[in-house]
Amino acid sequence: MAKLDIPNAADDELVRSAQKGNMAPYEELVHRHRDKIYARAFSMLRNEEEALDVSQQAWVKGWQRLKQFQHNSSFTTWMTRICINLCLDFLRKRQRQQTDSLDQMEEETGGVERRMEAEDYNPTEEMERSELRKEIDAAMEKLSYEHRTVLVLHEFERMEYKEIAKSMQCSIGTVMSRLFYARRRLAKILISLKKERQS
Amino acid sequence: MKQEDRLKIQAWLDGELAPQESARIADLIDNDLEAKELADDLRAIQKALEVGEKQTILEDSREFYWSQVERQIEAEEPITENTQPELVSGSLGNALRWLIPVGSLAAISALMLNFDSINTTPDLPETGGSEIEKPQTNPINSPSGLAEGAGTVMEEESPATPEVGVFSFEGTQNGGNFASPEDPNTLPESIENPER
Repeated sequence: MAKLDIPNAADDELVRSAQKGNMAPYEELVHRHRDKIYARAFSMLRNEEEALDVSQQAWVKGWQRLKQFQHNSSFTTWMTRICINLCLDFLRKRQRQQTDSLDQMEEETGGVERRMEAEDYNPTEEMERSELRKEIDAAMEKLSYEHRTVLVLHEFERMEYKEIAKSMQCSIGTVMSRLFYARRRLAKILISLKKERQS
Repeated sequence: MKQEDRLKIQAWLDGELAPQESARIADLIDNDLEAKELADDLRAIQKALEVGEKQTILEDSREFYWSQVERQIEAEEPITENTQPELVSGSLGNALRWLIPVGSLAAISALMLNFDSINTTPDLPETGGSEIEKPQTNPINSPSGLAEGAGTVMEEESPATPEVGVFSFEGTQNGGNFASPEDPNTLPESIENPER
């Protein structure tokens, strides 16, 4: 059997070799995808140190569970899901130490603005894509973790309501409600950022 | 407009509605100004988010990052590294678990029988009748000595401690608790099992 050319091997080959207990191919997978996993952790946790810890935990867990990976999805998708689950766990623990957020109260009472004016915000005008990304990033940071998480999972991970509900351990109705208010809140923040930029 | 309809307009935009409901909401958007404005607002946000996320890059070096991951992996798997999984995994491991003590007992029994036969036959004529009782002390001491020896062998050969560790690890790896081993959501920890 030919020796695996690790730097040039495809992810799938590396995974299969690592599943036999070889650490070197797994190390290569970590090198290739660590930025993506870290970025997902950071987008959810919004703290560099915590994101670093959780991303490393995800790789440890990935190694421990590697034999369960059956190549039905890409390795990075599988790893990202592990990372998301660890982030959600971390956030839940953190939330238990905090009082109910204002966002939750607003969700319950419907206290946020009912709608924003369509002409108030046109995200595609006057902005480069990179600028818009930065602005969205700044707005995401201002969201509660429930709203940010539901947006990340739906808009960036392309997860369906059902999958999000399973991950977040809530009902589909709650996912729909959170997503609705998260979008509203995000739009409102983007409008205020735009006004700040223009003034 | 009811909140339920607002959520359905969003679900319609996200492609999450059943066909029949989808037709009703499309009709609502066409004929209701408020519904149309809401759909436009939500589309605008969807479009904004399509540009994707800001790039985030790790500042740690590859080597440093990996060394920390590797250290954690090693810290959490000390038992598997110190044992030989092939010897104790699967059916062979189960067989060895029973064969070793049973084999040891058989060996002890054979040795005890052998001592009985040794002590009752050829040496007696040489030692003479007055010393008959003297060698009888050996069969009493020897089997117990052998038993201790055999017991020691059992302890040394029995993979009880490491085997339990490895078996537990195997159980965790392949454990029947996971509905779908492919799905990270079904991992055994509470967070990863939404059905907690």
